[in-house]
Amino acid sequence: MSFTTLPFLILVGASVVLYYVVPKQCQWVLLLAASMVFYCVGGGKTVLYVFYTAATVYTATLALGHWNTLKRNAPKEDKKAITAKYKPHRRAVVAAACLANFVLLYVLKYWNFTADLLQPAVDVLIPGAQIPLSELVLPLGVSFFMFQSVGYVIDVYRDKYQPEKNFLKLLLFVSFFPQMVQGPISRFDALAPQLLAKRSVNYTDLKYGIQLVMWGYFKKLVIADRTAVLVNTVMDDPWSHSGSVLAFAIFFYCIQLYGDFSGGIDITRGVARMFGIDLAENFRQPIFSTSLTDFWRRWHITLGAWMRDYLFYPLSLSKPFGRLGKFTRKHIKGKLGKIIPTSLATFIIYFVIGIWHGANWRYVAFGFWNGAIITMSLLLAPKYVQWKEKLHINEDSRWWHLFQMVRTNILVFFGRYITRAPRFLTAVWMVKETFLHPHWPDLWNGTLMTLGLTGGDFLVIALGVLVLLCAEWYEEKHGSVRAMLETKSPLVQCVAILVPLVVLFCFGVLRADYISSDFIYKQF
Amino acid sequence: MSSKKWLAMFLATVLFLGACVLGFNRLADPFGVFPGKALEWPSYEMTMNPRTAKITYLKEHHQEYDSYVLGCSSTSSFPVEALNEYLDASFYNMIMYGADMLDVEQDAVYLLEHYEVKNLVVNIYLDNACTYDQVSNPLSYSMPPETTGESPLTFYTKYLFMDPRHSLDKLAAMREDTYLTQSFDVFNAVTGAYDKKVRDAESIGSLDRYYETYPIFANYPEASYETTREAVNGTLESLTRIRDFCLEKGVNLLVVTAPVYADHMDYFDPQQVADFFTGLAQVTPYWDFSYSSVSFEPRYFYDETHFRNCVGEMALARVFGDDSIYIPEDFGVYVTPENVQAHVEAMGNTQPMAAEDYTAEVPVLLYHHIAQEGNEDIIISESLFRAHMEALVQNGCTPLFPEDLAAYVQTGAPLPEKPVLITFDDGYLSNYEIAWPILEELGLVGTIFTIGSTAGNVDHYKDTDHPITPHFSWEQGSEMVASGVISIQSHTYDMHQWAPYEEGKARENILAWEGESEEDYRQALSQDCDLIRQTILEETGEDAVRAIAYPSGLYDDLAQVTLLENGFDITFSTQVGCNTLVKGQPQTLLGLCRYNMNESVSVEQLLEWVAPARG
Amino acid sequence: MMEELLAILTEAVPGVDFELETALVDDEILESLDIVTIVSEIKDAFDVEITVDDLIPQNFNSVEAMLALIEARQN
Repeated sequence: MSFTTLPFLILVGASVVLYYVVPKQCQWVLLLAASMVFYCVGGGKTVLYVFYTAATVYTATLALGHWNTLKRNAPKEDKKAITAKYKPHRRAVVAAACLANFVLLYVLKYWNFTADLLQPAVDVLIPGAQIPLSELVLPLGVSFFMFQSVGYVIDVYRDKYQPEKNFLKLLLFVSFFPQMVQGPISRFDALAPQLLAKRSVNYTDLKYGIQLVMWGYFKKLVIADRTAVLVNTVMDDPWSHSGSVLAFAIFFYCIQLYGDFSGGIDITRGVARMFGIDLAENFRQPIFSTSLTDFWRRWHITLGAWMRDYLFYPLSLSKPFGRLGKFTRKHIKGKLGKIIPTSLATFIIYFVIGIWHGANWRYVAFGFWNGAIITMSLLLAPKYVQWKEKLHINEDSRWWHLFQMVRTNILVFFGRYITRAPRFLTAVWMVKETFLHPHWPDLWNGTLMTLGLTGGDFLVIALGVLVLLCAEWYEEKHGSVRAMLETKSPLVQCVAILVPLVVLFCFGVLRADYISSDFIYKQF
Repeated sequence: MSSKKWLAMFLATVLFLGACVLGFNRLADPFGVFPGKALEWPSYEMTMNPRTAKITYLKEHHQEYDSYVLGCSSTSSFPVEALNEYLDASFYNMIMYGADMLDVEQDAVYLLEHYEVKNLVVNIYLDNACTYDQVSNPLSYSMPPETTGESPLTFYTKYLFMDPRHSLDKLAAMREDTYLTQSFDVFNAVTGAYDKKVRDAESIGSLDRYYETYPIFANYPEASYETTREAVNGTLESLTRIRDFCLEKGVNLLVVTAPVYADHMDYFDPQQVADFFTGLAQVTPYWDFSYSSVSFEPRYFYDETHFRNCVGEMALARVFGDDSIYIPEDFGVYVTPENVQAHVEAMGNTQPMAAEDYTAEVPVLLYHHIAQEGNEDIIISESLFRAHMEALVQNGCTPLFPEDLAAYVQTGAPLPEKPVLITFDDGYLSNYEIAWPILEELGLVGTIFTIGSTAGNVDHYKDTDHPITPHFSWEQGSEMVASGVISIQSHTYDMHQWAPYEEGKARENILAWEGESEEDYRQALSQDCDLIRQTILEETGEDAVRAIAYPSGLYDDLAQVTLLENGFDITFSTQVGCNTLVKGQPQTLLGLCRYNMNESVSVEQLLEWVAPARG
Repeated sequence: MMEELLAILTEAVPGVDFELETALVDDEILESLDIVTIVSEIKDAFDVEITVDDLIPQNFNSVEAMLALIEARQN
């Protein structure tokens, strides 16, 4: 069930109304019911995977919680012994829970990719043998709910909080419907209490929710869906377009991706807000990033945070990395020797982030691209300091800041070649075309008009992006646009309701792909 | 503003916008589902959805009709005018594009139940054996709830909450509307049929030219059509119910099958077609026009699935035994359970007609002024003119009047072996003084397209001081007509003005002035048509004035349509070439080509031009 | 010990006034890379075991917090 369909709006409307009508102790049940409806309508039988994840996580955390309690309640002198005694159990359980989910995720999302990869080898070793391919349907939002659930297991393992004893309540945490499509990846301690809270109607929450939802739809329908037309036209057949058009399409893809993803998150957060629930932020004006690391702290924040807490830290502090650190310090002088293990861990993280996006060489390459650049900049950081001194660059100057922003956005831009091209090698070819055969006149000789968008569409996109940039700039510099609006006169506020609705209706709901009935009897 | 107030405002705005959309859609109603509206435009609405818009139209106009034609789009070409005449009735054509027999049945039941019906004509097309109970685009193909029993609530909701751009399109089309048919108003609301005024006014000639204009006929797309058991059964059952209901109501039912283009027919399995037609005969006797020599002639078809109105006229003439117009011999068989077996067997032997049997090649010569000395423009010397005429005689050519061509096309009257037309434009005195005697002497005939306003101007252009090549007077004209050698026809009364000599804005040809309103222009041209016809009839004693030579050879769709409406159904251009006439295809009389004759045209050249002549 | 820690911090992340800041992590002055670098330095210098469980913002928001963590782990 996509955010942009009528059934979704009906589900949201109905569940918000019911949420405040039903007895307060049933409110969370209603959220669970809405989530199940959402999942069953949108994902059909794949709802079973949600149950699977919830069940594995539930069992594992109950066991872990049990041992945690034993440990906590043990007399001080026994603590060490008890900790030691259950350590293997706890480790086994947490590993089992992670495996149970990741193996399934692997089979669902990555098995066919690996099978294709291994098939040549199998052909040589056992001629005629065929690696069976998975025919399972990828469940809706599987990467999101599995990562969120695994994070919960690890947190319980680390004894950050008590596990949830009620399976249904846990199921709600796993399947809370607004975040099923595009995340964010929430933390149990932040989300669960909110899901289970008892609430009376809060008009401000409703208002904020609606505003956020409208803003999200604006980004998604008005901007992203429009740019997508051109992007798809070009990317369906990149070979018949010149380098400059390819670059333009990737530029549009950057807009599309941001509009679609952050818009989707805004809708998610807005809907949750209508239930009084505050979900984690997933974006913070990524256009203002000054470095690729900074970008990943502003883009898909919850994924980055997940990777940091559950992968980067454990990896960096693991024994092999400790040993590696000792080794490099000993043999490589200066700062370089110290940061090599961290750089390696960083590289691995971005590699995993790449693969998280999907089973394809493109994403492997995408991870490699990010990992390589960030690791390089880590390793070269001392040199940068020297260069900056030589060039007398003032780090606080506005120009330097702007330079950093532009540089970062260019790096992100080229990264998008990799994620959007139909194949990795095509991406390489496209970059080559952009530099070797750009044929710049294509950008103004009318070629762009042949790519599925009209002049009006371009105008809408340009104005939409301008509005988006202004809002982002305001939020970066001054804070919430919403709060600013609230200080304005009622008239302005009413206009701020009417105009977005009209814009949404005219340029969002009335889709670009409208076919007038004119076509019916053209032979006349 | 408090959050509560904000929410109230928000809800109010949402409701307001919803109401705006709803109100606008109701007001504009582009699909014609609501009776009585501010922006009524039935032909547009019928184009968007003929199913709903026609039923809605009839709610207000059903008193004007007592009989109905039903079927898919090819049904349009059974002209209601002919039906009205033959059956002394007032027909409405209910054609719905893409209609299957369920749509037809629903319409028939609705009409029979609600209105007084005398006759019902049901047209069956081969596609009815392939599809039944299909809905494509819901807005354009939905039947009204009165005919289907669908809940009116869901039905009207669909049209109230549709994309308002459909309504906006209607407003935009209103601004672009012209007298001529456009893609957004393809129906004639009064007859219910497709408004073919433009397509029926286009000049048609040789096959090559037709293939060039409509490449689909030259290169018919490959396809394969399968009749299905469900569709055949559904169609036959619907037809049975229509038959029974007509019987019950005492309504005269006429079932016809539409002509199918031969290449289209080829992609059907003959056995399946035979089965379908056999089944049909078990339900009701019907007139089968589907497959005959007509099917092989693309000039009888608008496109691959739609036969032309002129073919519909032939079909109806066959049904009602009217032998005043041409009908191909094998066109139309009355099929009954008794003869159906023989009929479907005979279908396999259907052959195209030989071109000689129904087409003719007619060169037309265009002279202007004749003088002692010719030039390379529009003057020919008397001696060369005489040489031309003598060559025609020696070559066995038979000059004809335009009337003769019309007779060939409309009634199939035979033409001589080598037909030609000798025509003179403008009406110069030299036509009277030189050409007429020569023609008379050699036993030839000619046609003079005279300009009414300059008839009899011998010295000066109209009442100006400007000199003019002398024009013959009406008395002289009447002498020529009386001799039976000359026919005088129209070169317009005063729409071939000589701009430098005119005081006001000149009408140099029959095209509209730039910026002139369509209405003013059509009125001007119609008045001119009346005037020249009246003048010629009264002044010269000519029998009929129905031929016109376009001044300067210029014309366009609007001009041609207007001329046809004013009874000028034989028109001459100045395009060069021979003309192909097709029996039963009156558009072959339009925009006839002519060879411009002057001093540079040798006798050999002339003979070369008239060589293709074939009667 | 304070001096030693400050020296480590300044070397790992130059240009930060560690004595004044009290929200190093929350204000994103220190990012995960820095924290990992700092932790590995601390582990080396003070010979303490710091685990993933200790990597929470509260433990790294200020020099005092870090010092407290080290002391807790030394015992």
